[in-house]
Amino acid sequence: MSTVPISAYLTLALVLFCIGLFGALTKRNTVIVLISIELMLNAVNINLVAFSKLGMAPSIDGQVFALFAIAVAAAEAAVGLAILIALYRNRKSVNIDEFNTLKN
Amino acid sequence: MIFSGEFLIFMLLALIAVMGGVLMINLTKVVHMVVALVFTFVSIAGIFVLLSAEFIAAVQILIYSGAVTIIMLFGIMLTRHNDESEPKTGRLRKILLFLGVLGFGVVFYIGVYNVDFPQAANTLHENNTEQIGIALYSKYIIPFELTSVILLVALIGAIVLAKRDDQEEADKE
Amino acid sequence: MMENAWIIPLFPLLSFLFLIVFGKRLRAVSAYIGIFLTFASFIISLLVLIARFGSPTYKAEGIWLTIGDYQLTAGYEVNQLNALMLVIVSLVSFLVHMYSKGYMHGDGRISVFYAYLGLFTFAMLGLVLSPNLLQTYIFWELVGLGSFLLIGFYFYKEEAKAAAKKAFIMTRIGDVGLFIGMILLFWQVGSFEYDEIFAAVSAGMISEQMITLIALLIFIGAVGKSGQFPLHTWLPDAMEGPTPVSALIHAATMVAAGVYLVASMFPLFAASETAMMTIAIIGAFTAIFAASIGIVQKDIKRVLAYSTVSQLGFMMLALGSAGYVAGVFHLMTHAFFKALLFLAAGSVIHAVHTQDIEKMGGLWKKLRVTGPLFLIGTLAISGVPLLSGFFSKDEILVSTWVHGHTFLFWLAVVAAFFTAFYMFRLFFMVFTGEARGKTANVKESPGVMVIPMLILAVLAIGAGYVNTPWFGTFLGDWLTEGNQALGHGHVEGPAWIMVVATAVSLLGILLAWLMYGKKTIARDWFSAGVPTVYGILANKYYIDEFYKMTIVKGTTAFSRILHFIEVIVVEGIMKMVAGIISGLSKLGSRFQSGQVQTYGTVAFLGLAILVIFFAVTGGYLK
Repeated sequence: MSTVPISAYLTLALVLFCIGLFGALTKRNTVIVLISIELMLNAVNINLVAFSKLGMAPSIDGQVFALFAIAVAAAEAAVGLAILIALYRNRKSVNIDEFNTLKN
Repeated sequence: MIFSGEFLIFMLLALIAVMGGVLMINLTKVVHMVVALVFTFVSIAGIFVLLSAEFIAAVQILIYSGAVTIIMLFGIMLTRHNDESEPKTGRLRKILLFLGVLGFGVVFYIGVYNVDFPQAANTLHENNTEQIGIALYSKYIIPFELTSVILLVALIGAIVLAKRDDQEEADKE
Repeated sequence: MMENAWIIPLFPLLSFLFLIVFGKRLRAVSAYIGIFLTFASFIISLLVLIARFGSPTYKAEGIWLTIGDYQLTAGYEVNQLNALMLVIVSLVSFLVHMYSKGYMHGDGRISVFYAYLGLFTFAMLGLVLSPNLLQTYIFWELVGLGSFLLIGFYFYKEEAKAAAKKAFIMTRIGDVGLFIGMILLFWQVGSFEYDEIFAAVSAGMISEQMITLIALLIFIGAVGKSGQFPLHTWLPDAMEGPTPVSALIHAATMVAAGVYLVASMFPLFAASETAMMTIAIIGAFTAIFAASIGIVQKDIKRVLAYSTVSQLGFMMLALGSAGYVAGVFHLMTHAFFKALLFLAAGSVIHAVHTQDIEKMGGLWKKLRVTGPLFLIGTLAISGVPLLSGFFSKDEILVSTWVHGHTFLFWLAVVAAFFTAFYMFRLFFMVFTGEARGKTANVKESPGVMVIPMLILAVLAIGAGYVNTPWFGTFLGDWLTEGNQALGHGHVEGPAWIMVVATAVSLLGILLAWLMYGKKTIARDWFSAGVPTVYGILANKYYIDEFYKMTIVKGTTAFSRILHFIEVIVVEGIMKMVAGIISGLSKLGSRFQSGQVQTYGTVAFLGLAILVIFFAVTGGYLK
């Protein structure tokens, strides 16, 4: 059986999630913001897989869910980047603080 | 807590993952940031292996370390970057956010640090890929098919969004 | 017929509504509509009066509002006083309508004029028919509104505007008294009904002091409306309105309302000796006070206005001396001869286009009809025997004497002397002597103006005979029939009073003739002899100036202080509140920066605070 307690995995996921959150909300570069979001999704995946093995009722479902999350994250990355390219074409910049058309 | 080999590996992987994240936050050049994050992604794959999820680990390396990172690098290269450090403004926001994230993290850490479930026997490590395959094609067949639709939509959407608008270009010239 | 009395006020109301809506299109035709409708209401009033002779008081009421246990009623009542007043009001109103056809001929806003006249008449008729105090009050205010509109009819004239405002505000001061009195009365009696109020008063349900207080407060309302001292100043200024309006206000509607109120509330007043005394004193004082001003005025309408104030003082004196019959009787006769005088004065003004009596003179030969008619009115108001004013004034003097107010009696006699003097002064200055000013092409007024004057002249001569000591006191007996509280139908007084009254009126006429007719006494012996007194009189005892110095200035100063408080304190606070709000909004709008990350940060910080808060308070952190 595992000698690493589940709390260790959960703590690691928490730390990564917090780093991702901080990055997503502070970085100016849109690419880094997107990558930070990927990091947050990854932290969630760690949780899913950890519960899949060390949770109350271990089963393969958690891993399948993580798989779906990765698929969706990949799609999200692709679409996000496409939007970024389109934005860049209009604004000649990738700085997120220049995308402020929500103001109007 | 037992200092088993498994634990040492976990500590090492966790250290690399957190290090990669912290580097990502603090580096100045965009490409360096992405590369720092590759370390994190790879070590997360290692964590997956520790958790008897070999298939997920492989997918993690393929998708994240491979595809997503490369996409992001393409994105960086297709756009122009001044590679300058963060502007001075927004320092207050950063501090507030740091405190907020810290408080949030502490609360959740208190919540999770002594979570312990009675360990039940599991067979995840036996033929892991086969088990996932069976689950995907039986129990989760509909979500699986829907995922393919999502991927298709994302593919078309990305192409449409990123495609140069010929009409607009013509207008410009 | 009496059950149909409610129709009477509806005709003028219909006239008002109709002319307001269609007046613009009808123009001159609107006069005929007004005349016809008021004539209809006069005819019904007359029928109601005739019906009233043979049958008892008729009263019809419906529930208007139900407030808790109390049911507020609305309806109408036909008693002796109401029936008489209905006829007087509708008759004078009808004649004024008719007269205005000629007087206002060619005025662009004639339809509006007739509409206002309709409203005014409606209000007064409604007031007269009201069976309870609340309804009276509503119509009382409507009368005030009507007078405001009519006095300010020439709204493009500054004086007319000011006069209209003055009339409205001065009477409003009185109305406040009436209103408070009404509320007190309701508090004490629990009803607005005249019948119930009188029953409560005679049953001794209200304490003496309270009755006095209520009576005085209600009297203040009457003082304002009837132009008694000290709220009389609006009445002469109200002369800025068209002359037919003056006739209507002075003879039948506005000022009669005050006297009517006191008369209809007579049992209440009679229950308080103090209130009666106050009314009598105010009445007598107003009578002599206004008469003395009237002596020196130079504006034909102002002389008449002061004579109205003076005559109203007589009526109040009569009512205050328990002479209910005398007061109402004089109200009636005064309505006729004062309407006649005003209409005749209007006819003179119409002919010579000035109101200054110094610029008139020698009109007797030119106005062959107006002159004699004016003379009849003058004789009547002066109390020359055999005309209506003689009998009613005699009745007042007798009441005063019999009631024991010896001093007030002699005051009234002097006032009667003044009345005769200034009225004949007016007559001689206008109609005799040489023509002063431009009176070259003076023409007699058209028939439509003359006919109403003729009718009024007949009434001014004959109306007195309904209540004389010689031929029976028919009116008095009828008015007090079946109501002990109103006193006796006729008060027997010593015969010498009649002789004195006759003597003073003839003396006044003689003096006026000597000064202004024959000119054996120099005209200016008085103004030259005692210029101070003359100055005081000519300036109306400086009452207006006094009000201006005290009340107007005081109010202005007080308003300044309030304005200062308003600007500094209230607006300061307002600006501070507005400033704080706008500052907060500006702060808030800075979050609205369009920066997605900022939005995310704020949202996340909120979430973090919530999480920490619940973790701490939820006992989650042990």
